[in-house]
Amino acid sequence: MEAADDILEADDEALELPSDPMRLNMGPSHPAMHGTVRMVLDLEGETVLNVDIQPGFLHRGFEKSCERGTWAQVFPYTDRLNYASPMLNNIGFSHAVEKLAGIVVPERGQYFRVVLGELARVSDHLTCCAATAMELGAMTPFLWLMKVREWIYDILEIETGARVTHSFGRIGGFAHEPTENLGPAILDLVPQVHKVLAECERLLLHNRIFMDRMQGTGVIPRAHAVAMGCTGPVLRSTGVDYDVRKDNPYFVYDRFDFEVPVGEDGDNWDRFMVRLEETKQSCRILEQAVSKMPKSGPVSVDDPRVMLPAKSEVYSTIEGTIAHFKLVMEGFKPPKGEVYGYTEATNGELGYHIVSDGTGTPYRVRVRPPCWYNLQSARVALVGGMIADIIPTFGSINMIGGECDR
Amino acid sequence: MPSFKIDGQDVPFEPGDTIIRAAWRQGLEIPHYCWHPGLSVAANCRMCLVEVASARPMMMPILKWDAAKNDYVAATKVKLQPACQTAAADGLEVATKSDEVKKAQSSVQELLLLNHPVDCPICDQAGECKLQDYWAEHQSELKRKRTEPVHKPKGVRFGPTIVYDAERCIMCTRCIRVCDEIANDHVLDMRERGNKNEIVLAPGRQLDHAYSLMTEHVCPVGALTSRDFRFKARVWFLKTQPSVCTGCATGCSTHADYDPRNQTVYRLRPRDNAAVNQYWMCDDGMMSYKQQDEGRVQTARVGRGSDASMALVESALDRAAESLARVSRGQLAVVLSAQHASEDNHALARLGRTLGAKLYLAAKADWTGDAILRNVDANPNRAGATLAAGVALGTTADLVADVASGAVKGVIALGAHSLQDAAGLAKLAELDAVVSLTSHVGAFVDVASHVLPVASHLEMAGTFVNAKGLAQTFKRVVAPAPGVETAWRTIVELASRLGVSMEWAGLKEIRAELGAASPTYASITEARA
Repeated sequence: MEAADDILEADDEALELPSDPMRLNMGPSHPAMHGTVRMVLDLEGETVLNVDIQPGFLHRGFEKSCERGTWAQVFPYTDRLNYASPMLNNIGFSHAVEKLAGIVVPERGQYFRVVLGELARVSDHLTCCAATAMELGAMTPFLWLMKVREWIYDILEIETGARVTHSFGRIGGFAHEPTENLGPAILDLVPQVHKVLAECERLLLHNRIFMDRMQGTGVIPRAHAVAMGCTGPVLRSTGVDYDVRKDNPYFVYDRFDFEVPVGEDGDNWDRFMVRLEETKQSCRILEQAVSKMPKSGPVSVDDPRVMLPAKSEVYSTIEGTIAHFKLVMEGFKPPKGEVYGYTEATNGELGYHIVSDGTGTPYRVRVRPPCWYNLQSARVALVGGMIADIIPTFGSINMIGGECDR
Repeated sequence: MPSFKIDGQDVPFEPGDTIIRAAWRQGLEIPHYCWHPGLSVAANCRMCLVEVASARPMMMPILKWDAAKNDYVAATKVKLQPACQTAAADGLEVATKSDEVKKAQSSVQELLLLNHPVDCPICDQAGECKLQDYWAEHQSELKRKRTEPVHKPKGVRFGPTIVYDAERCIMCTRCIRVCDEIANDHVLDMRERGNKNEIVLAPGRQLDHAYSLMTEHVCPVGALTSRDFRFKARVWFLKTQPSVCTGCATGCSTHADYDPRNQTVYRLRPRDNAAVNQYWMCDDGMMSYKQQDEGRVQTARVGRGSDASMALVESALDRAAESLARVSRGQLAVVLSAQHASEDNHALARLGRTLGAKLYLAAKADWTGDAILRNVDANPNRAGATLAAGVALGTTADLVADVASGAVKGVIALGAHSLQDAAGLAKLAELDAVVSLTSHVGAFVDVASHVLPVASHLEMAGTFVNAKGLAQTFKRVVAPAPGVETAWRTIVELASRLGVSMEWAGLKEIRAELGAASPTYASITEARA
């Protein structure tokens, strides 16, 4: 009888199932492990005592691969860094090489880059928000936001010929001019995006379950985010308003009226909200860009040593043939030297530290992928939380496996 | 040494030097088409124009386009000098990158391309063409002319080795000068002027002298192409290794161009070497790479005639050693090869001396030499083989005589030699132990009881000593067939089976031994690309 009394008198805590710490492998092939990454979890019950995050299961040797082709042959590789917004990677690499070679892209080309880049940013942010919602059980917003991504992919496909891996960037500009469809398509798209965003916000932002799962979970302290080199929404959600587009404007970003949304707490909710808000800001940039973009003029530099000449020139003149031959067989030759070129990609500062020995082949291409630095802060966000919070937290940090290819 | 300045950099010169030659010695390239260090100065391409500073510059009146007036206005510009024809003088100040010079280079380049056909995709010169290189460096503009180019003869057969395309030709006259000055045969000349300019053969002649491929070699564009190399390979896929020609005892330095993907040698080019061949090679030497794939021995053979069977190199070595062991040592003959590297000969000579064998030398018969480059001795390494032996060597005729008299009962022979000896060597077929180490079929293979395949000249690194006693190394170009080793390594294997140990870990040790044996190798000329 004594035993029964004990049980009745015991407090709630003692009723918890006794548990020893348990080690659990999550990933690398887990549906919620975006890309292939493994987490070695030390759990006490459902509480995460410690976590060892192990990327590196995806190794394609991106940087080494760049050292065997021409500079232009790097573009298809960059498509596969952050594969949710390949265009921004293309643009980032062009920007770095142009910085090294002192090439200035014509104004129309710069606007075109802004337009395609912001489209990619919107589609990436919406994908991330959609996935986060879906992983918490909200299937409808996922489908609605994916629908928007499809619209954006349609525009990108018309402009570049490919839905995802565009390989559209070129040193000195773009592979093609914008189509006439671009401006109307964007002006048509933006209100639709706003409409879908409003619908999704109505479903999510007052949803008790969603709010409880997102608010106060996966907190990354501001000082930690700064110390770890976090950038992009992960950093801005902690209240630091660092955005390369504002702080070190490139292309024509200084000509647009847009704001850098910041959060306060650095939790999942803030990261989610920063992304939603940035999507709206990107839409603002898009509207301004298509109205300010020159209607005619070149998008690429007019230098046959940099850009491939038109096929009509290649097939009918010896100069065009030689230019084509030189660019294809030997490649564009930037001057000797090294440079760090950086742009604001979707997840933060995407930097290319490139070294040229003056030949047509890169001597070294070192990428500073934003996800790699953001991923380092994930441990702080996860330790002490519940195992179930790993999913939204990892989702909102938005590690993209392709970028963490080391 | 007196000196002058090019773009502010001090350049020393020897009396008689032109600006371009002094710059070339310093490794400074002044763009040029018609100038060649081994030929006379023609100064017709105008690509090497430079600005020479002077207190009283020669000014030329010109008409300059004035966009504001929408008309030409009278102006002056400094007269530029061709660097290939202007003598270097102490204290001269030469500008090769001034605006005037750049403009001149760009204009010359544009004019040269004015009627050039759109041929790069089908042109063998593409990838090593001066027109392409200088377009990128000095013009970099697309075509302005929109009219039909002037057409000229294409695919003209100049002789057994060379095809001429007048549309690609820039009339630098290098080919004419090579024939005149190197081959001493005025078989080419130029006719007509301006757009109708073309290179022609002397009436009733063909371009068939012994140095005809040098015309292609000096051609800075794709106008002259070698019939042998035409459409065979694209040069950017080829890699190159420094080698030495095997054609004769001159030992011209060569570049051996090969495709690493299929391990095939596609051509030889002369490698500049002031001590041997200057800038040139003869046609037979240029074509000597073809022997690489002709009549190769790549498997071991044991036995003769109907008893012959193929064998693994290892077991053939065992069987060869067994047969040789049965021959009493005084009755053994070792035949060195004037076709093989010094390293191979050194290994075999050492084996022969240790076994107390008599040493002989097999060599190709003399051919017709000339006073230009060709030596009458058709063997690249007679001197090296003789040095390796250290004693007077018998000839193959002596060997046959000794076999006939019964003084020689067993033979180890290196190298493939001309089949004209075959009849003479027939006597060897009666011996039980005739071991032939060879890369190609030849007289010894026919009479050998044991044939061991070895690497050819292009498949190994080694040293040749030419007729002047100059030792030159060459590098390995392509890989030998699987299982096939260099001759000296095969000899080391054979020696160990005969109880003779020769411990060389690599070429370094064997070359150290060569150097110790003869001062010839002390100042060895390293092959450099």
